[in-house]
Amino acid sequence: MALYAGVIYPATVGWCLVLLVVAIATLVRVRLHPILEWVVTGMWIVTGIQAIAVVIALLSGNDAGIVLTVGYLLATVAVLPLLGIGRLGAPDAAAADPDPNRPVLAPDQIARVDAGAAAIVAVTAAVLAWRIAVLLGAA
Amino acid sequence: MRQQRRIGPSAIHPIGRILLIVAYAVLGLAATGRSVVQITTKLDQAPLPYLVSGASALLYVVIALALWRGWRRVAIAGTVIELVGVLVVGTLGYVAPELWPDETVWTGYGSAYGWVPLALPIIALVVLLRRGAASADAHAAEAS
Repeated sequence: MALYAGVIYPATVGWCLVLLVVAIATLVRVRLHPILEWVVTGMWIVTGIQAIAVVIALLSGNDAGIVLTVGYLLATVAVLPLLGIGRLGAPDAAAADPDPNRPVLAPDQIARVDAGAAAIVAVTAAVLAWRIAVLLGAA
Repeated sequence: MRQQRRIGPSAIHPIGRILLIVAYAVLGLAATGRSVVQITTKLDQAPLPYLVSGASALLYVVIALALWRGWRRVAIAGTVIELVGVLVVGTLGYVAPELWPDETVWTGYGSAYGWVPLALPIIALVVLLRRGAASADAHAAEAS
């Protein structure tokens, strides 16, 4: 639990902050999109480590409600696929979809969609991490 | 009026549309989780707030689906209902607090969610209606 409270939780929230800052920067300067992609990859890794740590904390006899804690953990994982959602608007991907209403995005639009989605996910993931930490008694 | 009926989802700004889908999907996930726990575990303690939470969750999912599938009218109707709901529930929370033994997603005009439930329908309506109006003008110009 000390590891979670002292390292995992602060690192998760810190990475969410990095993601938010890089996302906002990418909205302003689309050239930063490759950096955002690296940060997004890091977000997947950080979330994976967080998930393992939460499961270990629950299995080690924490008093936190399992349903709520696992629910928040699942929500944390569920929002991750929204990162990089702009790729669905790439011409190749849109051409493979019979839906005529599917938007086809230019490269700068893909960067901005990715950035906007990353900002939303960063805030959401930080809030979810905080709620999990409260339930585990680590915050 | 006929020309407005022709306006499809492609008339919605693509970036705005996708980001609205993301925002409503996240809010729908949060509200659904919250309301499912509340309704299944303690509905008898505060039926009105928990049912309102459930209705808001359903509404968020419907709006996200409507934006995704390009059902523009459903999306507009949903966001109008959402905005009215936030304003009514938020106001009733201050005017008649005895009706609300517990909080809903819309309590305090969505303050527990960073006022996103209040801001989001306004942003969505701006995106949906401005683009629609611009497209209607374009259709009118083409027709004349």
